[in-house]
Amino acid sequence: MTLSRRRFLQMTGSGVMAGALGWPALSMAQNGQGTPFAMQASWVNDAEFSGYFVAQRNGYYADEGLALDYRPGGPDVIPEGALLSNRAAVALTTVESTLKAVTQQGAPLVVIGTQYQKSPVGIVSLARTPIEKPEDLAGKVLAVPPVNRLAVEAMLAANGMSTDDVRIVPYAYDPTPLLKGEIDASLDFVTNVPYTIQLQGEDAVSFLLYDHGFPVFNDTLVVTRQTLENRRADLLAWLRASRRGWEENFQDPTRYPPLFADSFFAGNGRAIDNEIFFNQAQKPLIESPNGIFSMADADIARCVEALGRIGIDASTEHFDTSLLAELDA
Amino acid sequence: MTERVRESQVTKKPRSVRQLAVRHAMPLKIALGWLALLALWEIAGRQQWVAGGALPSPSGILGQLVVDWHDYPEHIRATVRTSLLGFLLGNLVAVLVGFLMASWRPAGRLLSGVNVTLFAMPPIALTPILIIAFDGDAPRIALAALSTYYPTMVATVLGLTRVDARLLDLVRLYGGGRWATLRWIRLRHALPTLLAGLRVAAPNAVLGSLLAEFGSGSGAGLGHYLIGSLGRGDPARLWGIGLVATAISAGFYLAILLLARGWVGRQAPAQESLGGSSGGSMSRASRLLCLAISITLPVLLWWGAVWGLERVGVSSFVLRSPPELVAELFSTMRPESLTSIVGGALAQTVPWCLAGMLVGLAFALLLAIVGTLSPVLGRVLMPLSLLTQSMPLVALTPLIVLIFGRDGATILAITISVTFFPAYVTLAQGMALVPAATLDCVRVLGGSRWREIGLVSLPWSLPYLCAAARLVAPRAFLGVMIAEWLATGTGVGNLLNVARGSLDYGLVWAVVVAAVLVSVLLYLAVTLVEHWVLKRYAMAPAP
Repeated sequence: MTLSRRRFLQMTGSGVMAGALGWPALSMAQNGQGTPFAMQASWVNDAEFSGYFVAQRNGYYADEGLALDYRPGGPDVIPEGALLSNRAAVALTTVESTLKAVTQQGAPLVVIGTQYQKSPVGIVSLARTPIEKPEDLAGKVLAVPPVNRLAVEAMLAANGMSTDDVRIVPYAYDPTPLLKGEIDASLDFVTNVPYTIQLQGEDAVSFLLYDHGFPVFNDTLVVTRQTLENRRADLLAWLRASRRGWEENFQDPTRYPPLFADSFFAGNGRAIDNEIFFNQAQKPLIESPNGIFSMADADIARCVEALGRIGIDASTEHFDTSLLAELDA
Repeated sequence: MTERVRESQVTKKPRSVRQLAVRHAMPLKIALGWLALLALWEIAGRQQWVAGGALPSPSGILGQLVVDWHDYPEHIRATVRTSLLGFLLGNLVAVLVGFLMASWRPAGRLLSGVNVTLFAMPPIALTPILIIAFDGDAPRIALAALSTYYPTMVATVLGLTRVDARLLDLVRLYGGGRWATLRWIRLRHALPTLLAGLRVAAPNAVLGSLLAEFGSGSGAGLGHYLIGSLGRGDPARLWGIGLVATAISAGFYLAILLLARGWVGRQAPAQESLGGSSGGSMSRASRLLCLAISITLPVLLWWGAVWGLERVGVSSFVLRSPPELVAELFSTMRPESLTSIVGGALAQTVPWCLAGMLVGLAFALLLAIVGTLSPVLGRVLMPLSLLTQSMPLVALTPLIVLIFGRDGATILAITISVTFFPAYVTLAQGMALVPAATLDCVRVLGGSRWREIGLVSLPWSLPYLCAAARLVAPRAFLGVMIAEWLATGTGVGNLLNVARGSLDYGLVWAVVVAAVLVSVLLYLAVTLVEHWVLKRYAMAPAP
């Protein structure tokens, strides 16, 4: 590794300062011109966020006067944390976690839209030992990431079962235990894992929790009450550019992933074919007759009701559709 | 001096092939042992003997590494950069604190609470707090710095204080003051010891940086790459990443070693402590005062950090100061009180921790005995055990789970893998120091190798066994937490994860503080047992 002296000083300078002072602003990337605007994604860079990558690549955020700071997520990144520690203006979140924090901890958060009309979270198993409906899970070992545990409890409860009927173990997003038969099923995005399983010479079956008693959104767009009040114009600009990115992306779901191989997807550890599979599979879960991100009143009501069944006392007040309405106007 | 060494080597030229063979027999045997192990691994990987093929063969790992190589440079750069920065920052603070402690005696007592806390706390418990507090690369640098601090601080203090008192007298005799002794004696003496400390600290920095990467969501770094790759179900890739991380650790270690060789030559750090390090001149009242301050200081640091973070705009929703946390612990607003949630989790974790500690120590003792009986075998197994130290456990967990299941066996396996190496090194050191004359005594009387070990080596290494237990206690707690987090979904490890997932920051802080507290108490308990045992057998503690 060769470093110029100046570059080295830059790196050490900002890193040490940030480390010593806990100064959030110093290490934020602020590329380009425009109003700085940070978004926190819910996962590492993959096709799940294609719309935002398209919008960045094609300059849609710049067109709206925003300088976007895109923050990738990961298995241990809690997106709401970035909002509460004032590092991002908007975050993509798991709706049940967000509203649990709102109703039980008093977190000052509000949902302003949703990426997935239907949550892609489902139960994935091998076709030779298929689990096609909740009842099939009885007596089986199911791997669940801690964030999604509530969703599983909701799905089981809706089907007259409880956590006593299934052995739930931690899931580290690695399909190896499933392929080796150490677990019977795992909870994951059905838009993604089946591809990996096919690659290993097996066939996968899956069902969505959405279709079996847990009809909720996913990757909800969440902001703090304060941001909603003070940065309406910026939020509208971000929504407009992001929606444009998603619409462009779905013109042809196979077009963009290969273009990101050396930029957004570089070094994420996965094949481009995997991203194309993902992008195609998520199209019907994201698109809506009312426009990308929209939240129909009936869908909000169903989401609230489903959350109520797992003891989250959510209400329609936690969803704010005023920005979306303004967007369409 | 080096000239003379070279000369003597030249004069000792082996005279016959036979002598040559004898001189090279040991390294040859060790090399053959490694080859045999590698071959066994290769066959086991190819034949899919272990866990239905989840253990990849070395050639498979290398092949995958070559295929993936274009992904690596960026991740390696990020990991090296953050661990290096953390290493520098941690060492800077450690050396300054070391100087303070060496030059002003009460500082050691006052800071003991902070030092023990930094030594004993489980780093994964601190990660969520660091990620709340800092942004970008900062959590990784901070964790790397925190992991670096302790060994360097100890080495600095040792190097500056364990000086031959006669040399100090000499300087004073010639009219030298504090500065002169520092300049001519202490600094020169401290350098080799400090460099030895840095060698231990270097791999710690790499692991610290990797651990914080798992949670920071940053785009580059080997930890990030590992997590992105988990979803592929490709063990060869995971092992490849683990091996590269290990290579970086080894590189850090070697760099310091070479630096030390070039700088201070092969001069070994003097272990002899001449001149008393007596701290007993304090009155009882001031000793108690020091104790009180040393206990309060970590709490005050925590309070100050929270205060500072609130000033720079971190939401008070995610932060808890000490009084806020205490209030929340006993609050009746929650459906189930924090104390009972955390207490329940600890009741699951602590017994496993004690069991894991004992099994880890037993395992290390066994290996140390094997190493004494057959030095070749010991040295063949050494690199393997080094590997288990610097491999990120997340890479190995799928394999461990496939072999041991998701119950107690996995907890024990992971705990042993994080505890036995430091214990083994300490024990092996103790056994190597057994006086030959005492061993000869048994041998002359017709005793077997086993009797030698039973009658001499084991009792002799008792202080080292105690020191190993002290070293291993906090690590055992860490091991159990990792196992619970990644494999079993029980106890404190799981609770920390669930608390973060549900944005319950009160619970996050409660778990973090409980984990640090239990680790510290465990360490203190082992220290007490050590005192009692050594007093009973009238032995001095191991260095």
